[in-house]
Amino acid sequence: MHDETMGSGIFLPEINETVVRRSERVHGFEFHGNARDYFRIWIVNVALSIVTLGIYSAWASVRTRRYMYANTSFEGSPFEYRARPIPILRGRLIAAALFATYVIAGHFSRTMQLATMGVVGIFMPWMIVKGLMFRARYSSWRGLHFRFIADYAGAYQWYLLSYVPMGVPLALAGFLSVGGHPIAGALLFLIGMACIYPWIKGHQQQWTAEHHYFGGKAFRFKSELSAYYRIYGAAVGIALLCMIPTGMLLGMIVGAMVKGHVDPKQHPVSVILSTYLCIAPMYLIMWSYIHTRMTNALYNQASLAGYRFQSSLEFWSMFRIYLTNALAIVFTLGLAVPWAKIQMVRYRASCLRVVGEGTLDEFVQSSSSADVSATGTEIDSLLGFDIGL
Amino acid sequence: MVPGIYHDGRTTRATPVVISRLDDRLSWCGNGIDGTAPLSDIASSAPVIGVPFTLALPGGAQLQVAHDDMPDDWFARHHRIERAVDRLERMRSIAITSVVVVVLALIGLFEYVLPWTADRVASHLPHRLEMVMGQQSLALLRGRVLLPTTLPAGKRDHLREVFDQFVRALPGLPPVHVAFYNAPAVGANAFALPDGTVVFTDALVNVLPDDRSFLAVAAHELGHQAHHHMMREVLRSSGIVVVFGMLAGDVTSLGGVTAAIPVFLLDNHYSRAFEADADDFAFKALAQQGIDPIAFADAMHALEQAHPELSGSHQLRYLSNHPLDDERIAKAQAASQDFRRKHGMH
Repeated sequence: MHDETMGSGIFLPEINETVVRRSERVHGFEFHGNARDYFRIWIVNVALSIVTLGIYSAWASVRTRRYMYANTSFEGSPFEYRARPIPILRGRLIAAALFATYVIAGHFSRTMQLATMGVVGIFMPWMIVKGLMFRARYSSWRGLHFRFIADYAGAYQWYLLSYVPMGVPLALAGFLSVGGHPIAGALLFLIGMACIYPWIKGHQQQWTAEHHYFGGKAFRFKSELSAYYRIYGAAVGIALLCMIPTGMLLGMIVGAMVKGHVDPKQHPVSVILSTYLCIAPMYLIMWSYIHTRMTNALYNQASLAGYRFQSSLEFWSMFRIYLTNALAIVFTLGLAVPWAKIQMVRYRASCLRVVGEGTLDEFVQSSSSADVSATGTEIDSLLGFDIGL
Repeated sequence: MVPGIYHDGRTTRATPVVISRLDDRLSWCGNGIDGTAPLSDIASSAPVIGVPFTLALPGGAQLQVAHDDMPDDWFARHHRIERAVDRLERMRSIAITSVVVVVLALIGLFEYVLPWTADRVASHLPHRLEMVMGQQSLALLRGRVLLPTTLPAGKRDHLREVFDQFVRALPGLPPVHVAFYNAPAVGANAFALPDGTVVFTDALVNVLPDDRSFLAVAAHELGHQAHHHMMREVLRSSGIVVVFGMLAGDVTSLGGVTAAIPVFLLDNHYSRAFEADADDFAFKALAQQGIDPIAFADAMHALEQAHPELSGSHQLRYLSNHPLDDERIAKAQAASQDFRRKHGMH
C-alpha cells in the first residue's frame, strides 16, 4: 500500500495493511442514464454549438459529460464532472489552430508539415500529462477530486523516447529490402514490432495508472508485461485471419469491375465506399479486441489503497455494441450517437467492480486545488488518444 | 426542507442531512453535522436533466441535492444561460426543432459559411504561396507521373504560340504558361497548377482535332487559374477536415471512420462547383475572342471517340470529377447559340 504524503504533509494511519482480509466486499458500478434524456441534452447542445460556430461546444461538452458522470454511480454516490467551459474553449481553439496548421501545411510544403508534426510530437508527452491532469482534477466522487501528478520525465520516456527503438527493426527492414530480401525484411520488421510495441504499451498503462491519486492514495499497478505480449500476439493473429476474407472480397470487387469494363477512376465514390465496406469489419474487430483486452488489463492490474479493480469486458459483447453503434450512427446520419454512447457506457460500467474490505470512507483529500489548463485534454481527444482511466 | 448529502471535502464520508432555507441563509443538519451559511456564499452547479445539484459551501465542503428535490427559487440568479438551455432540453418540441436546426445549419455551414470564409482567406494570401504550392506538386509528379513530352518540337511551339496569343487578350489572369508532358498513367488529361502552369498530356494533344478545341480545353484550365480554384479548394477541403475533426473528436473513437465519407463527398461537391465555374469562364473567354464555344463540345466529343470504352458511362476520363458530360455539352451548345445570335450567324 502506498501512503501519499507528497505536497500535503498529511500522514495517514494505515489501517488495512496488517489486517487479514476476512470480509472482502464487491462494490459495483451502476449506470442509470437513458438514451431519451441524453438525446435531448445532446441534440440541443449540438444545435447550439453549430449555430455559434463551435463557441458553445465547450459548454455543450461540459453538460453532456456532467450527465454521463452523474449517472455513473459507485457505492450509491454519483461521480461528478466539475470542469468549467472557458478553459475547455481555450484548449479547443489551440487544438483547432494546431490541427488546421498541420492540414494546410501539407498542401504547401512537405518540410512545413513535417515541422508541424515534429513540434506536435515533441509537445505530445507534455500535452498528455496536461490532459490527464485536467481530467483527473475535474473528476470527483463524494466531494473529492482525482489527481494526476505531473511527471514530465516519465511522459517523455514512455510516450516519445520509447518509440525510438522501433526505428531499429524499421532500418534493418529497409536495409534488407534494398539488399534484395524484402520478405526477410518485412518478417524482421514484424518480429521487431511484436517485441517492442507491447512493451511500450504496458509501460504506458503502468505509468498512467501509477500517477493517479484519489483521496491521498496512489493507484498501484502490478505490471505483467507478458499480458501485453499475449494481447498483441492474438491481435496479430486475428488480423491475419481477417485479411483472408477481406482480401477475397476486395479481389472479387476489383475482378467484377475489370469484367464489366468499369474504370475505377470514373466511380471514385462507389470505389471508396466499397473499399470502406470491406475494410470496416476488420477495423471494427481489431479495434474491439484491442480495446477490450487493454481496458481489462488496465483495471485488472490496478488497485487503490486496499481495493482492487476488476474489469470483465468480453470481446463479443464489445464487438456487438461497436457494430450496432456504428451501423446505427451511419443509418441515422449521426442521430444515434447519444444512444450509442449510452450503450457503451452502460456495458462498461456493468463490467467494472472494486473488491476490498473497507467501507470506502477512509479516503482523505490532500490540499491542492490549483486549476489545470485544458489544452492537453482537447488536443488528445482531437487526435483520438484513448488514455482515460 | 430538502434531503441532501453532505461531503466535508476532505474525506469520502457521505452524511445524509436535511437542508432548509430561512430567508437568505441555508442550514443543514443531520448525524452530527450541522451548519449554516448565507445563500450568497454558496455556489450551485448548473441544472442538467437527472444530474444532482452540487452546492459548494464556504470552506470546501459540499451538499448534494437530488435533481428533482431542488427548490426553484434557491439559486434563481445563477447560471442564467445554462438555465435557459436546461429549459430547452426538457421540451420534446425543441428536440425535434433542434434536429431541423442542425440539418439546416450544417447545410448553411458547408454550402455558404465555409466556402465563403475559405475564399476570403484565399484572396488575402500572397501569390508566393500559390507558387510554392504549384512547384511542390510539379516536383512531386515530374519524373514519376509526368515524363518528358514526345510531341514534335514544331507542334509544341505552335500550340504554345496559340496559347500565349489567347492568354494575352484575356484580362485579369495571373501569369500563366503551358507545359506538355507524356503521362501514360494519367491518359488524355489537362490540369492547372496553382503557380500558373497549365499542363497538357501528350495523349490529350493527340486526340484534339484542331487549335480551337485545344483552346477550349485551355480556356477551361485558365478559368481555374483566373479564379484561383486550386488555392480555394485546398483551403475549403482543409476546412472540412478541421471542422469534421472537431465534430468527430467529441463523438466516438469510431468517428474517424464514419467522418471520412462525408469529408470525401463534400470535397467532391466543391470541386464540381469549381468545374462548372471554369466551364462558364471558358465559354465567355472563347466567345470574347471570336471562337464559337461549340469548340468545347467538339473537344469533349473528340475525347469520347478517342476512348470509346468510356462513352457508355457518360463520363470521360478527362478529370473524373467534372460535372456530367451531357450536361456540360448542353451548356456549351447553349453558349454557342448565344454566340451565333450575337455574331449574326443562324
